[in-house]
Amino acid sequence: MARVYNWQIAREMSYWYPESRPKRQFAAVFDVNKCIACQTCTLACKTTWTSGRGQEYMLWNNVETKPYGFYPLAWDVKLLAMLNGQRWKGARYEGATIFESAPAAERVLGWRPTAADYAYPNVGEDDCAGEINRGAAMTLPHASWFFYLARICNHCTYPACLAACPRGAVYKRPEDGIVLVDQSRCRGYQECVKACPYKKVFFNPMSGVSEKCIACYPKLEQGLQPQCFVNCIGKIRLAGWISTPDKARPENPVDYLVHVRKVALPLFPQFGLEPNVYYIPPVHVPLRFLEQMFGPGAADAVRVYRAAAEDADLSGLLCLFGSTEALLARWRRHGAAVSGYDESGRELVRVPLSEPILVRAAYDERRRIARTNCP
Amino acid sequence: MPAKSCLFTGLVALLALAGCRRSPQPSLDVIAKNVEKLSLDPEDRAWRHASEHVAALLPQDVVDPRLLKPSTAFVRVRALADRNQVAFRLEWQDSSRDDLAAPGRFPDACAVQLPATASPEPPNPQMGEPGRPVQITFWRADWQSWTDGRKDDIRELYPNAAVDHYPFAAPSLPKASPAQKELLRLYAPAEAAGNRRSGPRASPVEDLVAEGPGTLAPAPKTVSHGKGIFTNGAWQVVIARPLEPALNPGSRTVVAFAVWQGSQLEAGARKMRTGWIPLRLEPRR
Repeated sequence: MARVYNWQIAREMSYWYPESRPKRQFAAVFDVNKCIACQTCTLACKTTWTSGRGQEYMLWNNVETKPYGFYPLAWDVKLLAMLNGQRWKGARYEGATIFESAPAAERVLGWRPTAADYAYPNVGEDDCAGEINRGAAMTLPHASWFFYLARICNHCTYPACLAACPRGAVYKRPEDGIVLVDQSRCRGYQECVKACPYKKVFFNPMSGVSEKCIACYPKLEQGLQPQCFVNCIGKIRLAGWISTPDKARPENPVDYLVHVRKVALPLFPQFGLEPNVYYIPPVHVPLRFLEQMFGPGAADAVRVYRAAAEDADLSGLLCLFGSTEALLARWRRHGAAVSGYDESGRELVRVPLSEPILVRAAYDERRRIARTNCP
Repeated sequence: MPAKSCLFTGLVALLALAGCRRSPQPSLDVIAKNVEKLSLDPEDRAWRHASEHVAALLPQDVVDPRLLKPSTAFVRVRALADRNQVAFRLEWQDSSRDDLAAPGRFPDACAVQLPATASPEPPNPQMGEPGRPVQITFWRADWQSWTDGRKDDIRELYPNAAVDHYPFAAPSLPKASPAQKELLRLYAPAEAAGNRRSGPRASPVEDLVAEGPGTLAPAPKTVSHGKGIFTNGAWQVVIARPLEPALNPGSRTVVAFAVWQGSQLEAGARKMRTGWIPLRLEPRR
């Protein structure tokens, strides 16, 4: 085991390989508050990549309802139980990561899903937390809540799948940090499936080899965002590149949201993988739950997001989500509009902060007819 | 003891004695007995005349992930050689026949390992070492089932599987047309990369080379043959390799074996294995 620095837990930790960050790191921000679980992202991914034999059950992208939705079944709570409680001291994680709590003879603490665990991809859909039969629905604010968690591979800085593969068949691309399973080298031992805490590596029984989300790298290489991003009708997603906190650039949209405003947070940072999909947490969910899922920055993130309407820069940047298929390297607000640029500074998209409002009178004087809202 | 039971015990003892008389004594080495023509059939009578070596299996506890819980205690090995090949017959107890790979499911398997080159000091028995390769022939129970004619369909694994649509199965695509083949390839990345680990195949074995743990790679060509059958709670597998300069009649070398029990979630490094065992090929008369 080597010692590496994980900024998400504000400390050094043990990892199977020495620290080796890519030239740049693919990253994403998902605004959970805007997701409606329509699963258009899921289908966009499914039709693009996993319509083949042995891929029937695979969802490289999925959307699950929290707290009772899981794919595969109980993926997160099982591991949380195995970790047996976590301790944060401010921004520093004092508990053990899944690498540091690896049992004897293992490289990573993990659990192995069975086929049955994948059999209910939409289990718990729209199920609320809270005990409604005890009157929870009658209190304000509502004690009952749920939210939708869209998930892809986190293309972690310290991938557990990569650490666990005894053959070195999982690799992280030095040019963009995308984590891939080498389809020519994998022998289907499923160590990566067991090790990935997010359960985003899938064994293909018809090919006998494991497969996973590839962040649509053929698109990224052409300066385009992945399929699940551009097909999102809720416009909850933004793909880009993330810097380490010491090198954060406010003009980089992902850096601005993650490092400058700290409104987007990693998923289960305590696992220790430095995952690179960042979530703007749902504002209506009890803080204890959010802190368990997104770490100690949850309270501040909710506060900043709640104030976004009064914050032209933040709300402006949020308007760039889903505004273009192109990858945005930079952004800038100018007055009542916000622009996204490529690496060379070429403007790719310009979006107004607020759309013009047109009020249609209930009665059409010219045609002398009442207007209705019927489509 | 009742008379009936006495009679039964006596009969068993007699049969056992008779069996002992037929089989040669268990041997400390693996001795390949000469035959005119090898048979891949594990039930061929010729195997009874080869001496049996009972190889104790140890958990792979050298590299992570290790196997901490021992499973298969030993493997019974017999060897035969003809003018072209040397064959090993491995037999081990297995409470369940596992011949499918799926999420969380693993097939039974076994392997024979030999040093790649003749040397007075064999390489590390754990998959060889850098610059001192080993050659391995690997047999897998699911490959055997496909060799024996199992259909290549997800319903072999999940009989009630519902498949909405495969793009390459669209009625508008003529079967085996270039367009259809291309679509099939698009959604089968491992196959496109020449690494299909499951599905129809001509042989249940694969030849491999390794220079240490984690370096296992396919040999340029699989020249070995094999056949496995599962009867009475035991696998009987024959693996035959072509003779070569370091492995010919009269020569002495070493051999190692490994066994994986799918029901125990054994795969890759999680295996039961032997160290090097002396291997002697009888000289040809």
